[in-house]
Amino acid sequence: MDYAGSGSLLIILLISLFIGMALSLQLSAELSRVGLKMYTGKVVGISIIREIGPVLTAVVFAGRVGSGMASELGSMVLGHQVDTLRVFGVDPIKKLIVPRVLSAIVMLPALTIIGDAASLMGAYYIAVFVSHQSGAFYWSSIREVLVYENVLAGSIKPFIFGYLIACISCHMGLSTKGGAIGLRRTTTKAVVISFIIIIIADFLLTRILLYLLGFTV
Amino acid sequence: MITFDRVSFSYGSRPVLNGMSFSIEETERVAILGGSGEGKTTILKLILGLLKPDSGRIWIDGIDITEKKEEELREIRTKFSIVFQEGALFDSLTVKENVAFPLREYTQMSEEEIDQKVRELLRRVGLEEAIDLMPEELSGGMHRRVAIMRSLAAFEPRMFLYDEPTSGLDPVNANIICELILNLSSKGTGFIVVTHKVFDAFKLADRFMFLKSGTILLDGDRERILQSDLSEIKIFLKELHFPQFQGGTRNV
Ligand SMILES: Nc1ncnc2c1ncn2[C@@H]1O[C@H](COP(=O)(O)OP(=O)(O)OP(=O)(O)O)[C@@H](O)[C@H]1O
Ligand SMILES: [Mg+2]
Repeated sequence: MDYAGSGSLLIILLISLFIGMALSLQLSAELSRVGLKMYTGKVVGISIIREIGPVLTAVVFAGRVGSGMASELGSMVLGHQVDTLRVFGVDPIKKLIVPRVLSAIVMLPALTIIGDAASLMGAYYIAVFVSHQSGAFYWSSIREVLVYENVLAGSIKPFIFGYLIACISCHMGLSTKGGAIGLRRTTTKAVVISFIIIIIADFLLTRILLYLLGFTV
Repeated sequence: MITFDRVSFSYGSRPVLNGMSFSIEETERVAILGGSGEGKTTILKLILGLLKPDSGRIWIDGIDITEKKEEELREIRTKFSIVFQEGALFDSLTVKENVAFPLREYTQMSEEEIDQKVRELLRRVGLEEAIDLMPEELSGGMHRRVAIMRSLAAFEPRMFLYDEPTSGLDPVNANIICELILNLSSKGTGFIVVTHKVFDAFKLADRFMFLKSGTILLDGDRERILQSDLSEIKIFLKELHFPQFQGGTRNV
């Protein structure tokens, strides 16, 4: 649990902050050309909470925590520790995978919330101090965005991403073979496959959630 | 106790064992010799049902384990004590928790009894001081000794299985491990030791099986091995001809 969260926190804070600022810059620039600068907060808020926050955090999580799970389990396989568990009558799935999946579906949502907050702060900084918009207005548009539909859409994703990342990484780890080269291949594969699955799952989830929540596209 | 009947096994498209047959009695002291990748570890895993043969049958104590499910194998596995290559201690657990692991899984001992039992086991191999260390803090020889004690912590095994118990160890530590292996079998419990060190094999066993290309090239006692004309075996035997065993005369 500990290794899952704390190491990723700083990275997520940093990346989220800068993504929030970049997004805010882009939108302020574009929206002010058409005279809609006051929508910056709203568009930033929706993009971050529903889309960018969950995906970005999941990608960092896969790169740091998922790869760690894969290489840890992989070296347990190569070192015959998994065989030893089976000899002692312990199911490696229960002993090794379940706790990792649980920790991922707790940690990733928590990290996503923190990342979202950092992004919104970054976006605020740009909107108010660079694009000279009203801070009070920015926060009131963010509050408008934080309605039930958006929060739900944004918070279901990290649970599912966390589950997927942990399952993929653990599966890759347990199927490791072929020594040190095999271990490297396992780690790389776990991260790459997690990335692809996260992005595809994100699209599918967005489609389903928008439909369920009654949005028309 | 162990019977392999024309057992073949491959990892995907890579054949490892090729119609192998042999029988080992409970009290025998067997060394399985062979080069790297010849399938020595694979044989031990097949005995424990950790791998399933592609064809052929494996019998343990008259029970065909070939088709057995994981839960049914649990009982079969308690007949053996296995020490895998390198020891395979759980690297996230202390020495104490490693040795306590099978006790927690197989017995209802209280925390106090477990502590006592672990200390007693470690004392037998002179490692009581190491009880709170992590596996990475142990030397290779200590690692193996802890692993051996862990493997027999929870029950009296009917047979010991050792996978390369002395590989990667200096001669002094290798000797300590050999002594320990002999000691544990002093009451007549048999063992199978997998190794590519003929010198250690000769110290331990009295039956030798040479593996080559998925089959048993030769199976016999010391004399048969020493008198063999097979070039594959002669290469292995060179290890015995170093000066240290020849009173200084070089004869390699
Ligand atoms: N999980 C696996 N998947 C694919 N191939 C494997 C796997 N485990 C082992 N092998 C291959 O099967 C062959 C036999 O493996 P095994 O571990 O039984 O050899 P070994 O005789 O114990 O060798 P070593 O002295 O290196 O321990 C080796 O060539 C190995 O590369
Ligand atoms: Mg081996």
